[in-house]
This record gives sequence, C-alpha cells and structure tokens, in this order.
Amino acid sequence: MDALIRLSEVTKRYDNGGRPAVDRVRLDVAPGEAVAVMGPSGSGKSTLLNLIAGLDRPTSGTVTVAGRRIDTLSETGVARFRRQQVGMIFQFFNLLDDLTVADNVLLPAQLAGVRRAQARARADELLAALRIERHRDAYPGRLSGGERQRVAIARALVNRPALLLADEPTGALDTATGEEIGELLIDLNRTGQSLVLVTHNPDLAARYASRTVQLVDGRIASDASTGALGAWR
Amino acid sequence: MRRGRAGAVARALRGGLARRRVQTLVIGLVVTISTGACVLALGLVVVSNAPFDNAFAAQHGAHLMATIDSGKATTAQLAASTRLPQVTAAAGPHPEVTITPQLPGPPGSGGQFTGPPLTLVGRASPGGPLDDLTLRQGRWAQRPGEIVLSSDFQFGLPPGAQITAVGVPGRPRLTVVGIASSINQSADGWVVPREIAALRARGAPPTVQMLYRFASASTAAAIRADVAALNRALPPGAVTATQSYLAVKLQESSGIAPIVPFVVAFGVIGLVLSVLIVVNVISGAVVAGYRRIGILKSIGFTPGQVVAAYAGQVMVPALAGCLAGVVLGNLLSVPLLSQTATVYGVGALMVPAWVDIGVPVAMLCLAGLAAAAPAVRGGRLSAVQAIATGRAPVQGHGYAAHRLLGKLRLPRPVTIGLAAPLARPTRTAVTLAAILLGATAVTFAAGLSASLTRVANGLSHSKSEPVQVYLASSPGGPAGPRGPSKAGAATSAAVQQRTIEAALRAQPGTLRYVAEADEQVSVAGLSKEVPVTAFRGNASWTGYDLISGRWFNGPGEVDVPTNFLTVTGKAIGDTVTMNFRGNDITVRIVGEVFDPGNRGLALLTDWQTLASAGRGLAPAVYDVGLRPGTSPAAYASALSTALGRDYPVSVNGNDPFVLTLIGLIGTLTLLLAVVAGLGVLNTVVLHTRERVHDLGIFKAVGMTPRQTIAMVICWVAGVGLAAGAIAVPAGMALHAYILPAMASAAGTGLPASYLNVYRPAELALLALAGLVIAAAGAMLPAGWAAGTRTASALRAE
Repeated sequence: MDALIRLSEVTKRYDNGGRPAVDRVRLDVAPGEAVAVMGPSGSGKSTLLNLIAGLDRPTSGTVTVAGRRIDTLSETGVARFRRQQVGMIFQFFNLLDDLTVADNVLLPAQLAGVRRAQARARADELLAALRIERHRDAYPGRLSGGERQRVAIARALVNRPALLLADEPTGALDTATGEEIGELLIDLNRTGQSLVLVTHNPDLAARYASRTVQLVDGRIASDASTGALGAWR
Repeated sequence: MRRGRAGAVARALRGGLARRRVQTLVIGLVVTISTGACVLALGLVVVSNAPFDNAFAAQHGAHLMATIDSGKATTAQLAASTRLPQVTAAAGPHPEVTITPQLPGPPGSGGQFTGPPLTLVGRASPGGPLDDLTLRQGRWAQRPGEIVLSSDFQFGLPPGAQITAVGVPGRPRLTVVGIASSINQSADGWVVPREIAALRARGAPPTVQMLYRFASASTAAAIRADVAALNRALPPGAVTATQSYLAVKLQESSGIAPIVPFVVAFGVIGLVLSVLIVVNVISGAVVAGYRRIGILKSIGFTPGQVVAAYAGQVMVPALAGCLAGVVLGNLLSVPLLSQTATVYGVGALMVPAWVDIGVPVAMLCLAGLAAAAPAVRGGRLSAVQAIATGRAPVQGHGYAAHRLLGKLRLPRPVTIGLAAPLARPTRTAVTLAAILLGATAVTFAAGLSASLTRVANGLSHSKSEPVQVYLASSPGGPAGPRGPSKAGAATSAAVQQRTIEAALRAQPGTLRYVAEADEQVSVAGLSKEVPVTAFRGNASWTGYDLISGRWFNGPGEVDVPTNFLTVTGKAIGDTVTMNFRGNDITVRIVGEVFDPGNRGLALLTDWQTLASAGRGLAPAVYDVGLRPGTSPAAYASALSTALGRDYPVSVNGNDPFVLTLIGLIGTLTLLLAVVAGLGVLNTVVLHTRERVHDLGIFKAVGMTPRQTIAMVICWVAGVGLAAGAIAVPAGMALHAYILPAMASAAGTGLPASYLNVYRPAELALLALAGLVIAAAGAMLPAGWAAGTRTASALRAE
C-alpha cells in the first residue's frame, strides 16, 4: 500500500549554520495508522508536524502527503491542499473567538466553497457526534477546555480529511478531560482516520498510537510499534 | 547607575524602533506628509489672507512712488527729501521716461502696432533698499538696447521680442531680455540707467522716480499727509505724479479675494485630517505595544522608564517626520506659491517663517500628547495587566455583526472582513473620519475643478468663439486693442469688413461669426465710462453665460454683469440711461451675464442700440465660431495667411489663472488622499499585528493568500464604502457653499450651469472614492498578511 505520508531526507533549518530543527528525517505513514511523534522540548516534533501540514517548508528533502509533493506547492496550492486533505488540532485549540462554535466548525468548508446546505449538514453531524450540539451558538470563550478541543476536532474533520494532525491535543487539558479527548481520537482512528499526534507523554503515545517515532535533536532515534492500538485491529 | 538606567531605556527604545520597522516608517511618513500638507495649506491660507501685505513686506515695498522733475529739484534736494522725519526708508533717484512703443502683433500675424505709453525706469539691478524686483524669466538688462518688462504688462511679450520707441531720435530698439514683477508696479519696464536719456523725446522734461517708506502710511489720509510733506520739502511743481501702494493693494486684493474661500476650505480639511491621522497612528502604536510594556516592567523598568522608552519609540520617527515635512511643504509650496504669486500679481510669495517653525512644533507636541496619554496609562498598569491588555482584543464587540454578515451569501473571507471593524469601534470611527475627509476632499475637488473649468471657458469664451479677427483701425476711429496700423490709414472700415467677411466665408472651418463694436459710454450714477459691446447680428452663442434673465432680442435691450447691477442698484427689468457720443440712450436691462472683466462693469447690446445714436459706428473685431473638430490654431493660421499681416488674428485660450487654481486643487487633494490612505494603512497594520494569530488559524484551516487579501481589504472596505457614501453629499454641500462664496468675493454671480456640475455617473464614481482610498491603504498590509508564514503566525501570541 502507498504511504499516506512520505518524508524523504527532510531537513529544516531556521538559521544558516545552526543546528537543524529537523535533520534528514525519513518517515512513512500508511493510511489508517495512528503514529505518535515523541521527544523532549526542542527535538523538532512540532516542526515535523508543520512540515507535514504544509505550514512550513523544508530546507531540503521532499514531503509527500496523499500522493502530492507539498513542499513544491505554492502558498495557494498548499492552502487548498490543507483544507481538503489535512485536519489540524492544536494544544491551545486555536479557535476564532469572534465566531460561534458552529461558524468555527463551518469555516474550512466555507473556505473550500462547499455548498451551504451540505456544509451545515456536515457540521451538525459532527457537533452531534462530538456531543457539543447544544453549544453551536455559543462562543469559544465560554466553553471548557475539553469542549473547545471537541470544537477544534469537529473543525478539523468537517472536510473529511485524509489525515488528522494533532499537536499536543491534551496538553492544555486536565487528566480526565485529556482522556476523553484521547478516547475520541482512538475512536476516530478505529473508523480508519489516519492520525499523527505529537506528544511528550509516553503514556499517551502508548495508549493512543500504534506506532511511536522518537525524535532527538531533530533526528529519528527510534520508530517502533507500541502494540497498544494494534490489539483491536 | 544613572547612565546604566538611561542606557537600558535607550536600548529598549532602539529595540522597539528596529523591531517595529513598519510602524516606525508609517509614523514617519504620516507625520511627514501631514506636516508637509499643513505647511502648504496653512502657508497658502496665511498668504491668501494677506498676500499683498506679505509680499509687500518681503519685497521691501515702497509706500509711495513719486515722479519728480529733476530739472526743478536738485540732487541735494532729492537727498534731503529722504531725510524727512516721516521717511523711514528711501530709494532713488532712478531716471524715468515714458515712451510710445511699437509692439509686435500676435504670433503668426507678422504685424506691428502702436501700444499704449510705457513708463520705463533705469535701474542697474533688480535689488535695492525698496521695491525689490523679482526676476521671473530671463535676466536683468546689462547694456543699452535691453529691456526687462513688467509681468503686469498687458501684452505679455516674451524674452526676445523687440520694442521700438516711436517719436524718439533714431527710433531706438529695445530687446526684451527678462520679465520681472514689482510689488509697487513701479514701472512698465526697466532699462540700464544710461539708456533713459536716449529714450527721451526732444523737449520732454527729465524725470526721476523716488521711492519712500513712511512711519505712518496705513491709510489714504496718512499717505496724503506724507505727500504734502514731500511737496513742501521739494520746489513747487517738482513732484509731477505720485502713486500710493494702497491703490495697488486695492487692485490686487480684488483679484485675490475669490481664491481665499477654497484655499481656506482645503486648508481646514487638511489640518483636521492631519491631526486626526497623527493622533490615530501614534496612539495606536503605543496601545499596540502594551504587551511589550508589560514585559519591560516585568524585568524591572519603572513606569517613568517605560513612558520614556515607549513615547520615545514614536517620537523619534515623529521628529524625523516633522523635519522632513517642513522640507516637503516648502518644496511643494515653492512652485505653487510662485504660480500663485503670478496669479495674485504680487512679486514673490513664501511660506511665512512662523508657519515653518510653528507647524512642526505643533505637530510634534500633538505627537507627544498622542503618545504620552496611552504611554502613561500603560506605564501605570501592572506588568500582568499590561501584558493581558496587549494580548487580548476588546471583547464583546462585533459578535452580532459576525452573525449577521455570516448569513449573507458572500464569500466567507469577505463577510469575516466586513464584520471585523466592529470589534474596535473607536478605531473604526477614527478610520471612517479619516477616509471621509479624504473622500470629501476628492468630491469637492472634482466639482470645484469642473466649475472652474466652466469659469475659465466663461472668461475666455474659448469654447464658443475660439478665434477673433481684428480690423486695422482707420484714422479718427477707435484705436482698439491693436491700435492703428499702416493699413488703417489707407483702407476704409467698410472695405476691411468686406475683406474679413469674405475670408471668413471662404474658410471651411467657419461655423458662424459676428461683428462687434467696442465703445465707451457714460452711465448715469457711475463716475467713469463703462465699456459697451454692440453686436451686429445674433451673438447669443458668443459665450456670455446667463446668470438670470435672457439675452437681448433687439435694440434698446442690454445684458450686464452682476457688479453693474450692484453698483448701479438696478435690477433686471429696470432701465438705465447711457450717453454715447453726446446722445442719451435709455435701455432696458433684460439679463445678467457672467462677465467679471473690468470689475463687472460693462454692457452688451444690439448694434442698432448704438448705431441709432450716431454715425460711424464700426466693428473692431469679428468673433468666430468654428465647426466641431476644427483646430483653432490651424484655422487662425490659415485665416491669417488669407487675410495678410494687416488683420491680426488671435486664438482665445483659457486664463492661466484658473489653470493654476485647478493645479493647486489637484495637488492639495492628492496630499489629503495620501494622508487618508496612510491612516488606513496604519489601521490595517495595527489590526494585522493584533490578529496575526488569527491569521495563522485562518491559513491553517485552508485560507489561501488571495482569500487572506480579500479578508484584510474587507476590514476597511465597508468603512470606505460608508465614508464614500457620506462624502458625496458632504463634498457637494461644500462645493455649493464655497463656489458662491468665491464668486461673491469676486463681485459676480454664477450661472446655474457653473454650479450644477455633478453628473449621476460621476457621483457614482465619486462614491467609490472612499473605497478606493481604503483599498489602496490596505493593499500593502494585506499582501504582508497573505505572505506571513503560517507556522510563525500560529506561534505569535
């Protein structure tokens, strides 16, 4: 099976002559996999995620996602690619405070030009699935952390992306709420959603991912199956 | 220790300046252009209010010019007159002579004509203790045979033209080498002093010109007293003529007055707009730095140090902008004031020194106040409060707008952008006001330019009668503007008319023509004679625009300008009695026309009105209307060739006075629009910085660069559209107020067509002026926002 994500000798430097944030990384992720990227602070985890999402460009190497070389796309091309193929979940949610929950969820669909009725139906479906439909007209500032992260997950899924990227999705949540979110992610992966999540917590990695990639100083130190999710595949 | 603290503040200041390069640049540019616009506008307002007085002081004008018979007053007596107790300054004696000149005819005519008497004064250089002359073209006369003409000389000869002194032994010829202006209008021309004797006719008494300034000369009575003292100091009959500066001032002021209202209007708009933008830019820059202030405080900066670092961060570019703005304002002022000085008929105009000092000082104080208030407030906040205030946008505003606009079937980036201004209502209101002022200036300027173009056409008749053909005057007949020529001596008026009319009929470009006679009549109630123009045939097309009433239908009816009605106290429908060649003629006033020439004292009538009163009425000129598409210059050249040198042919052009005004309007409007656009740019830059994290989110969920640009432009597009919609009626109202004020100051009414200049299609475009200013100001920061790296934006707090 072709890899959903293929990073080939990817390097990212922020300073000329400085240590690269990501150093000659080779990584393949198959469709339907749940991969945890771990490492200490400054190991390059978030940089790697940004490169996969097209939020940043590699200094060298190639990044292919869903069959497309995203490192060569224009800003317009990568934005279009992202809204169709990638859903992003952030540690601090990154919701727009001026928009209601429903409007936040709808935004990627509206930017992609999806018909109003179709977009609304999909948003309603996601709000119900994530059990936040009663908050549809509320503003993010009034929600709890867990509720905000559910909104963020709904937004990430509205365009049915091939890939879900999560950067420390439970980092800003208390333990119980974090577990709820983690279960959500497991459920999504169980339905076939490909998932790459960044975390510094080995327990989270072990519980929510079938494979863990360890980054140290920008390089892959290890890449091993955790066996945690593999049990019920 | 103190040096260490000052060093920390300086480092914080330098760091802020370096990091916020865009903001620093915007502050500098806005203050530069605002200061420049204020210097220009205030300079023009001040100069317009007292142009003669300003120029008189700058050019050391003389209160009195006296022509003195040097055969009756000795040099010692002239010197003694300069030491009278009343005299504070004096210049002269300058030798003086009056000549009868033969002048070249209009370009292409090849003819010459005898002009009115010219008073020439001998001066070795244009400078002097009094009546400092301003050289406008060419150079000063250096040898006999050269003449510098006054810019007030009615026939406007260029350098290189030749003038022959008639009735003087040898018929000396003078070549024009320069054009100069005198605040005192002290002569029609200047030559080297030793030339004067050669230009004096045999038997003419030698005269000199003396110039005096007096301790008391502000009123006509004071001047009369000074003249009396001068007469007592010199031998009886020595003083043959005097001219007071007050007469010149009165003459110039009436020409200047129409300009004042519109310059004041632009000046006020410019000042208000500049103040608004400077305050908005600078206070916004400080508020945007609250987070940084919080960080500085958290590492130990005292409130005073914070205020110094932060206010300094905006004062440095503001100071640079003030200094650059003075230079800019003066650079812009130089050509405009030079043209305006020509328009005003005064020697030279400069921005007053107190404007050059006062405006930047005021702007700097304004900038300081605008920076100090929020800087002090930020300094008083605790570190945590400052960081929190700097990080969080104002909550609670704009939610309803987002909900409502989200329902519209418009692209989502557009609706998000349109709703954004409501999150910052105060900043939006200031932006709206700035765009409104800029767009109002644009609407006002468009109408004013259109009206002034119609005024120019109405003054020159260049659209209706672009070509005029003059008869050569016959002996004993009226001299006319061109004076008698050799042909006039030999050819009767009737033959000339037949010749001209045949030539006109033969020219393919001729549409119509009418002969006019230009005479003088005395009118009951008026002390001086008034010019009357009698037309032989239908002349309603000749370009005299009606203000009220109608064009005359036949003999016994006249049309008159506004001031004629004002001065005589008459109204349309009244009769007036005029005396032509000893015969009283009573005519009825049937219309008021736009004709401010000769201070609005004139009559227009049918040929038979005058012909019935006396024999020998002859036309002086033919007014010619051309077929559409005919070039006036080419037509005039062909007609001149057909008629020969004896019949001068001229082409009517628009008065450069009005063209200068239109240029001035354009410059001021552009400056104001640029300042308004910079204000928008600053608003959008601030907004972009505040919302950089949100921009990252938008881009992360798939907003393309083009969608980002659309969203950012829409942040101000709605405000621009609203401002434009208000600006159109505001600009029209300003136009409807200012234009009649200008006309009233000139002593004339205005035809309705000069006021009704706004066409619906034009208004629709003008309504977009606000949008254009807003979009233009937002383009650059929109591009920056679109180009921001998403990952970097997401990391921003």
